[in-house]
Amino acid sequence: MASLRASLSLDRVGAVIAVLIGVALTAAPFVTYRANRIVAGEGRMLADALPPAGVAAVVLAAIAAAACAALIRRPAIRLAAAALGLCAVFPAVGVSAGFVAPAGNGFARVSPALGFWLLALAFALLAADALMRLRLGPWVRLAALAAAGAAIALLLLSGAWADLSLMKEYAGRAESFWREARQHLWLALGSTGVACLVGLPLGMLGHRIRRLRTALLQVLNIVQTIPSIALFGILIAPLGYLAAHVPLAAALGIRGIGAAPAFVALFLYSLLPVVANTITGLGQVPAAVTDAARGMGMSARQRLVEVELPLALPVILAGIRIALVQNLGMATIAALIGGGGFGTFVFQGIGQTAIDLVLLGAIPTVALSFAAAILLDALIDLTQRGAHDRD
Amino acid sequence: MIEIERLTKRYGATTVVDDVSFRVEEGAIAVVVGTSGAGKSTLLRMINRLVAPSAGRVLVDGEDTMAIPEDALRHRIGYVIQGYGLFPHRTVAENIATVPRLLGWEKRRIAARVEELLDLFQLDPGEFAQKFPHQLSGGQQQRVGVARALAAKPALLLMDEPFGALDPVIRSRAQDDLLAIQRRLRTTVVLVTHDMNEAFHLGDRIAVMDRGRLLQYASPGELLLRPAEAFVEQLVGTAERPFRLLSLTKVGEALEPGHAEGEPILLSATLRDALSQLVWLGREALPVVDAAGAPAGRISIAQILRHGRALP
Amino acid sequence: MSRRAFVLRGLALLLFVAFVTAPQLFAFVFEPLAANRAPAIYNQGSLLALTLSHLRTVALATLASTVLAVALGILVTRPWGQEFLPLSRAIVNIGQTFPPVAVLAIAVPLVGFGEKPAFIALFLYGLLPIFENTLTGLTGVSPQTLEAAKGMGLNARQRLLQVELPLALPVILAGIRLSVIISLGTATIGSTVAAKGLGEVIIAGLQSNNLAFVLQGGLVVALMAVLIHDGLGLAERMAARKPGRHGGEAA
Ligand SMILES: Nc1ncnc2c1ncn2[C@@H]1O[C@H](COP(=O)(O)OP(=O)(O)OP(=O)(O)O)[C@@H](O)[C@H]1O
Ligand SMILES: [Mg+2]
Repeated sequence: MASLRASLSLDRVGAVIAVLIGVALTAAPFVTYRANRIVAGEGRMLADALPPAGVAAVVLAAIAAAACAALIRRPAIRLAAAALGLCAVFPAVGVSAGFVAPAGNGFARVSPALGFWLLALAFALLAADALMRLRLGPWVRLAALAAAGAAIALLLLSGAWADLSLMKEYAGRAESFWREARQHLWLALGSTGVACLVGLPLGMLGHRIRRLRTALLQVLNIVQTIPSIALFGILIAPLGYLAAHVPLAAALGIRGIGAAPAFVALFLYSLLPVVANTITGLGQVPAAVTDAARGMGMSARQRLVEVELPLALPVILAGIRIALVQNLGMATIAALIGGGGFGTFVFQGIGQTAIDLVLLGAIPTVALSFAAAILLDALIDLTQRGAHDRD
Repeated sequence: MIEIERLTKRYGATTVVDDVSFRVEEGAIAVVVGTSGAGKSTLLRMINRLVAPSAGRVLVDGEDTMAIPEDALRHRIGYVIQGYGLFPHRTVAENIATVPRLLGWEKRRIAARVEELLDLFQLDPGEFAQKFPHQLSGGQQQRVGVARALAAKPALLLMDEPFGALDPVIRSRAQDDLLAIQRRLRTTVVLVTHDMNEAFHLGDRIAVMDRGRLLQYASPGELLLRPAEAFVEQLVGTAERPFRLLSLTKVGEALEPGHAEGEPILLSATLRDALSQLVWLGREALPVVDAAGAPAGRISIAQILRHGRALP
Repeated sequence: MSRRAFVLRGLALLLFVAFVTAPQLFAFVFEPLAANRAPAIYNQGSLLALTLSHLRTVALATLASTVLAVALGILVTRPWGQEFLPLSRAIVNIGQTFPPVAVLAIAVPLVGFGEKPAFIALFLYGLLPIFENTLTGLTGVSPQTLEAAKGMGLNARQRLLQVELPLALPVILAGIRLSVIISLGTATIGSTVAAKGLGEVIIAGLQSNNLAFVLQGGLVVALMAVLIHDGLGLAERMAARKPGRHGGEAA
């Protein structure tokens, strides 16, 4: 009796996801149609958004996924169901764009609407829940990330989404898109890289010298507290002064407005996680281990390189992860002071109330942060060699 | 051989090791005992210069340790601490290879030495060499810790409560193993412990410390029969005294000629073991045999009691 | 608190209040930066009004996120909500890879310009740190403590109110502080979507190429954030020091 009840009992998470899927299918428009870029849109329910075969495919996939979510507890099957759902709705929204827009009308815009987003959210939640329960190893997670990246690249390159409004925004700006992408990466990765170069030695010093540690952490904590745009503003004045009075600085491309203050600000922000985690990581090395290393006649350098740094590495990497994810997101603000990056599209989009343009900047930013987080989390797991007794 | 001369350590106004002198002969085990905070660890750590002495000096084989570069000195001295301090990111083999690698030994020589030590400590190289410390039991970790300290064949081994974290059964096995290996390698050992049984079991000589001062440095028997101060007597434990004394003496030394009925006792057993056997079996005397099983005489309760007295 | 730190805090607070109430007093500092006879001090609105509306947005949004996030945190740590725990953790992890400005920007086309998109962004983004810390705090209560409470006959409700929440409080407060700091920053960017706030000064400076505005806006916002961060930290330590509770997580 008990076992029967257990096998039939509803999974609560799955039930919520199933309800979400039900609402998305029946009560929310799948896409929005607009006669041109500016006018208000009208929603199209799924039944009117796709050819009959497409409607059937999406509905069947969604119902199958909902049923799996609600009734089956095996994480692997739930993951497969989520993948099935995603594989149905992502191409479908591209097909829908071609189906809804009148043929030959170059001005018409079709964008994903609430129904699509809810379906995507529901499948993503189902996948996230399954992945959390599966507790995959680092290599499998990296492979999953690569597979997801490849699937998205395939959709983009095959032209399946070419009729979507978002891709039309991209098509008109392909060149500037890639320029801003490079700038965004340069700002975020470059500043994090410099923060590592400066922060690691600072952290090691802070680990050794107590007074330095307190002062360092206090100052960096204050810097971290200052809102990004305020810090940009504060840095513009001195950098402008530098550019005006030091020819070398000007020659290096340092100006008051632009990428320089953004780069410096991002660098300052990422210093705290790197330094603090270096100090924490080195401080966590068990005293017995360092004592034994000293007792065996390891020099200070040997102890640092062979014992302390390898043992602190996972914690240091966790700091770099925080810094990198934070900088990838914060680099969007650089656009406000002429520093470029994906924020350019976001703020242009706000100015024109064009959500597709906003998304053109926001989606790559989120994707980058997300990928960076997964990548570094996997790396952290991989470096925890022999340190499993800690958790 | 190691000579400690007027060694002193002060932290600010407090003296934690106060003018301590003693000497450990080549191949002997000296055990340092005392209450918590007595300065035992500090004394030990001044020998390999992990703590810099405020005054006094240490001679290893006649050579002043201050004349040897710090790291080179430590390469020559094995060091085992409570908790062992195994490197969690290195395998058992890599842990044991630490000092030979620092000394620049050849790869093949290191591998051979690691295997030899694993064998010596009854850890199957095929099974254990590539394991990480967290995959070992406490007793196995302890053996790896000692093996690592012995890797570069040091003439001197310093041990700070090396058995402190083990359960009683494993602990007494580890003590016997240490004794066997030490007898074989003729390593000089200075060992710190809280455990008086351990001190009497292992020590050729015992140093009793209290509040930084060395109260007495003597053989276990002398410590029992002629404690220098009330504190030593108390530490040794008045109720335990006669039994400790008996466990220091072998049956061979109390042998009587003649025969007795019952299960024979080995010539090399201690008087304490013999007494325990006699009481348990309810007999006045038992036969004694040598290692080969040949009868050697008999041992009686009366004779044993004579050896457990303060004044013979 | 040491005497010096106390004096320093007092001075910073005094400086901040003086600046937003009578900014003209400080005109001499910013004059060199204002090129072409541009005004040295922000003149398109009262700094005090901007500060107050900035603080109001942050306070309201934080209040709303606190209520919802703590409630959700309690929900998923009860036995019948336990199934949601892994997913909740995943959402917190993923949610934090979203930059706040993206949330802000996406809200605009949906609800129009003004306070609304700013409030939505602040509210949504502010949920994450509070929710995360509520989870950490509630799941961090030692099983022995809970076992003891059960053994003394406290029911689930009493255990939550008298044991779990009080023990988790310092961690939850730390989450609220983090949320407030992020919200202060997001509210500053909110000026780009016409929400009333101190970001306006910086944006106006950037638009009219007036460095004096940019710098004073930056300094005022920074000073306010640091003061609030510090003040909340102080409040946390007081809460953690309440009798019978030892050692909250002092940052
Ligand atoms: N670096 C130091 N600075 C100041 N005092 C110290 C330092 N190291 C040790 N002490 C003090 O010296 C005294 C002796 O310490 P030590 O560690 O040698 O004692 P111990 O006999 O090994 O004790 P235990 O049996 O608890 O290990 C203690 O009171 C300790 O507080
Ligand atoms: Mg000690």
